[in-house]
Amino acid sequence: MSISRKCVPFTPFEDTLAKSTIAIVTAGGVHRKDQEPFNIADELGDLGYRVFTDDVNASDLKVTHHHYDHSDADKDINVVFPIDVLRDLQREGFIRNIALKHVGYMGYTMQLKAMYEGTAREIANEIDKGSRADAVVLTGG
Amino acid sequence: MKGIPTVLITVSPEVSAQMRPPRALYPNGFKIGNSLGKPGMRELQRTVLRDALSLLTLETRPGSVVTKDYPDYGEYHEPPRVRK
Repeated sequence: MSISRKCVPFTPFEDTLAKSTIAIVTAGGVHRKDQEPFNIADELGDLGYRVFTDDVNASDLKVTHHHYDHSDADKDINVVFPIDVLRDLQREGFIRNIALKHVGYMGYTMQLKAMYEGTAREIANEIDKGSRADAVVLTGG
Repeated sequence: MKGIPTVLITVSPEVSAQMRPPRALYPNGFKIGNSLGKPGMRELQRTVLRDALSLLTLETRPGSVVTKDYPDYGEYHEPPRVRK
């Protein structure tokens, strides 16, 4: 199925937050330290993405991205990938659960079509299959 | 796939608006790299995330970006503009 870029791909949210499972997808170049870093040497950008499970530690994550100043994210990854913040909201009952999968990718590319038609779909499928997310929070840098 | 509801937190509202996101929050004046606030400002980060998630339950206009002020952030950074 192809989506027109002129329309807003709006999916209604029909539940309450207190009953919902939430995933995070960030374009901020976040990956686990033991995962392959994004390839910042390629001027066209890196079309890949990295998946993290719900038990990921904030201290095991880092940023590889050369198109924004991520020095604050290096100190506290939650400023671009709010996994501990989401855990706080779960503890206080604002949301029900943390999704089983979350995704980081590098939101910079000269290959827009490949990003839009390839990577974006792959990430959506990744979240759709096995993350149990009812909704997704997207962040940039 | 039936689709997954999303909400975007953006610090480049004009750039993001070009993509017409279904729901988006711009924390007014936050700099790029500070989508949720500054390091360690957990209460502010929680407030921003609660506000973003709440957009899922509100009647927002699809394709628009909602701007909210967070005085606790303590700074104002001019967001990048789109050349028209």
